[in-house]
Amino acid sequence: MRYDAAILGAGPDGLAAAARLARAGLKTIVLEKSAGPGGRCTTATFHPGFRASPFADELAPVPAGIFWSLDLARRGAIFFPQPLHVISGAVAGTQVLTKFCAQVRTRIAQELRRADGKAEVPPAKPWLPWQTESVRVAPLDDWSLQSMTDMLADLAPTEAAALMARALAGRAADPTLRGSALHLLAPGLGSSGIVTGGLATLGAALAGSAREAGAEIVCSSEATGIRQTRSRVAAIALADGSEIETAAAISTLDFKRTMLSLFRWSDLPEAVMKRATHYRTAGSTARFLIALEAMPRMAGDAALSRATFHTASTPEDYAHAYAAWRSGVIPEKPPASLRIVSAGDLSLAPRGQATVTMTLGCIPHRLFDGAWTEEHRGVLRDRALAALGATFPDAKILGSRLLVPPDFEEALGATDGDLAGGEIAPDQMFANRACPEWPRTPIAGLYLGGPSSPTGPLATGASGWIAAKALIADRGAGRS
Amino acid sequence: MSDTFDVAVIGAGIDGLTAAAYLAKAGKRVVVLEAQAKVCGLCGSTELRDGFLVPRVAQTLYALDPQVLKDFPSVQRGLAFAARDLAQVGLGEDGRVVTLSRDTNETVRSIALHARADAQAWPSFRAGLFRLARAMRSSWWTGEAFDPDALSSSNRATFAELQTMSAAAWLDSRFESGLLKATLAFDAAAGSLLEPGSALPLLWRAAQEIDGVQGAVALPRGSAGALAPLLSSTAIQAGATVQTGARVARLLVDTGSVTGVELESGETLLCGAVLSSLSRRNTLLGLAPDAAPLALLRALQRIPVRTGTALVTLALSDAPNLARGEAPLASRYIVADRLETIIAADLAARAGRLPDEIPFEIVVPSQLDGSVAPPGSHVLTCLVRPVPVAPPEGWNVLKPKLTAKIIGTLDRLSPGLVPDIMAVDVITPEDIADEDGVQTPERMIGPWRARIDTPIAGLYLCGAGVEPVAAVSGRAGRIAAALVAGKP
Repeated sequence: MRYDAAILGAGPDGLAAAARLARAGLKTIVLEKSAGPGGRCTTATFHPGFRASPFADELAPVPAGIFWSLDLARRGAIFFPQPLHVISGAVAGTQVLTKFCAQVRTRIAQELRRADGKAEVPPAKPWLPWQTESVRVAPLDDWSLQSMTDMLADLAPTEAAALMARALAGRAADPTLRGSALHLLAPGLGSSGIVTGGLATLGAALAGSAREAGAEIVCSSEATGIRQTRSRVAAIALADGSEIETAAAISTLDFKRTMLSLFRWSDLPEAVMKRATHYRTAGSTARFLIALEAMPRMAGDAALSRATFHTASTPEDYAHAYAAWRSGVIPEKPPASLRIVSAGDLSLAPRGQATVTMTLGCIPHRLFDGAWTEEHRGVLRDRALAALGATFPDAKILGSRLLVPPDFEEALGATDGDLAGGEIAPDQMFANRACPEWPRTPIAGLYLGGPSSPTGPLATGASGWIAAKALIADRGAGRS
Repeated sequence: MSDTFDVAVIGAGIDGLTAAAYLAKAGKRVVVLEAQAKVCGLCGSTELRDGFLVPRVAQTLYALDPQVLKDFPSVQRGLAFAARDLAQVGLGEDGRVVTLSRDTNETVRSIALHARADAQAWPSFRAGLFRLARAMRSSWWTGEAFDPDALSSSNRATFAELQTMSAAAWLDSRFESGLLKATLAFDAAAGSLLEPGSALPLLWRAAQEIDGVQGAVALPRGSAGALAPLLSSTAIQAGATVQTGARVARLLVDTGSVTGVELESGETLLCGAVLSSLSRRNTLLGLAPDAAPLALLRALQRIPVRTGTALVTLALSDAPNLARGEAPLASRYIVADRLETIIAADLAARAGRLPDEIPFEIVVPSQLDGSVAPPGSHVLTCLVRPVPVAPPEGWNVLKPKLTAKIIGTLDRLSPGLVPDIMAVDVITPEDIADEDGVQTPERMIGPWRARIDTPIAGLYLCGAGVEPVAAVSGRAGRIAAALVAGKP
């Protein structure tokens, strides 16, 4: 049987793409390695009775157009915002944060319009007056060239710290280095918030929308290669040795993995090979899921139970951890962001008890003394527990689960466990990301969705959505 | 009592003296105000002990402005080179050596010992860099506006890469050998190698020339400090007045315009214009805090200069043998094993710590110039960077640590060197007291005007911080002087 389009990966991008393609009448199949759809939009039981989304609590925003077009609200994806942030005991006021996040959303929306080819959007503020169209790089503005500390310099210290902590949760960056302001955009201060029931609800809503449109979602089915005929995508090879014939494919794997693991290297043009090899990925996130015997006591306001608590408060804290990360060392004090996810969502913990998630940044994918061993995990667990004790002194732990970058690589197929799909740097962001042909790739019939797309770190679902649009357009033009 | 001049130049450094020479030649009444007791106290040379002559800040010359030499034949005549074109030699941890010289075949052979692919990539890398660098000269040398559209398409592509990529990413995309990359990157190590545009200093270095040789690094006879006294006497001959021990306390500003300077001694000098060879920050924050716009002062305060350069000089009773005969005698040696060594050192220095492994550049001037050390003895100088500018521990504590680290490394490179050491001196960023400002792409490609002008009318900057990359050049002094002399 021959499909019009095959999509690799049933994450939010894959599912959004599938829905769009199927709605356009294309015979569409989604191939997923894991046992269920959702990708990072999953929620699992990590201790009897305690559930949490293992990979992230919140994602970059789902653009409104996609959200309403796919009818996600009716399918149960209800977001509630997380307005409060606590930095070393101080609560960051929401007004400034909201204002700054609105600025971020505007910038993201602008980039999405540009990526979607909808409008020739001029750059917000061109960086170099001597940079002209003929220099073929994406327009660079303050976001690309300032340091995060410069970008936030005019804000009150607590607000600036809150934005920094939120932007750098799970990331590795030195906020005093130029170019680090990009982390304010990606993975996105624009996040719509936390989904009731965990990210699985969003995953299920997306999958439901794709299925209703007529797409076929096949799980436990890992794509291992792309076969070309006359230098066009012809079929997807699966781990079980079978093949799925298809006229086109959208890969939601990162650019590096797409090019280097799905093709015979001899089949790739040299320039593509070089580009993929030099595409930089950098894993930095660890997640610690904790089951607590009782809800931690909040000293003051009960509303604080829904806040996010950050352990790092100054640029120096991050710079210090970043230096450790660069040399492959587990930082003494990894920047940690803690949330009592069950406080606003009773489905995640038994009554009276609590589920806390901790996102740790500056955690190396490869350690200087080799691979992650049980001993290394023990070291990180101890440091995470110290952060927990400092935030919630009365916490009694019933059980926990720790995920380090290699676990993300294993579960999500993200190279180096990099959840952003590639290092966040001016030469790898916006139009400079992955391949200049995007949403197409140098391989005819292959499209790139997923985190390595220009919109990948900025929005959830958008890159799949835009890749699907390009595929449909090419088909209409007879190129497919 | 007060004197009246057309122009007061603050600082008798290379650029201050150059500016004074040009202004005096143009018929202006110029006074140079030097805080130290001696002209070229910081940019000249000093005797480490009897008969051992060492420079104070710069150990080589690579950015000298050819126009200055042309305009002042006395400087040109006085300046002699012990070596015009030092080879760049990378020294690895385990005795590996890579030699980058003007001889492409030799260089390719040397690189091939480490990585065959790098040896293949070298000729086109170097040719491409030099080609683009030549095209950039018009804006870097003359103050013309830079027009990227005037570049050829291959130059444009390289330029676009250099603008957006970090030096680390750019070198990683070109080469495999860590030693080769670190050796190249050292010349850009005044800033972080992780920031966008951080490879531009390599392009700027490639655009410079010494005696008509592009990208050359030269060693003047009588130490790299030999240039300053030549410029000083030239300026005086041209008619400039030089006052030493004259530290400027503040600028006199009247309704947004400079009217003169007040010295720490209480003396005031009236003048129509002031050229400061201090950094923008030290000039505005230190000398005119009431006259500059508040927003600018805040912005200047916000960007702390965190990393700097130290110079460690040694007097030796015997010749060192750094590359075990694997490199030409006329070499500068870079001690940095991998890119990560420089990156980690920068992150540590920014945090105010002395890095575990410190990258540095070694020159042994006495091997090429008998005049700087007694016969049989030697002078070895190490340019160490990045080091913290204001470490919390204080430089008094860090100085012996730094010295121990450098001597430890030197002993590993040239076993048996320690007993030969007769004297050591360390010049820290604290001793230099002024800073060169932050290395940014705007500074590197932006117009000279923007770096020279200040919001105070009649106040101009002319120091090393005005250069696209801080260096001993004189160009900043020449261009700033032209700007001032052009005014009625």
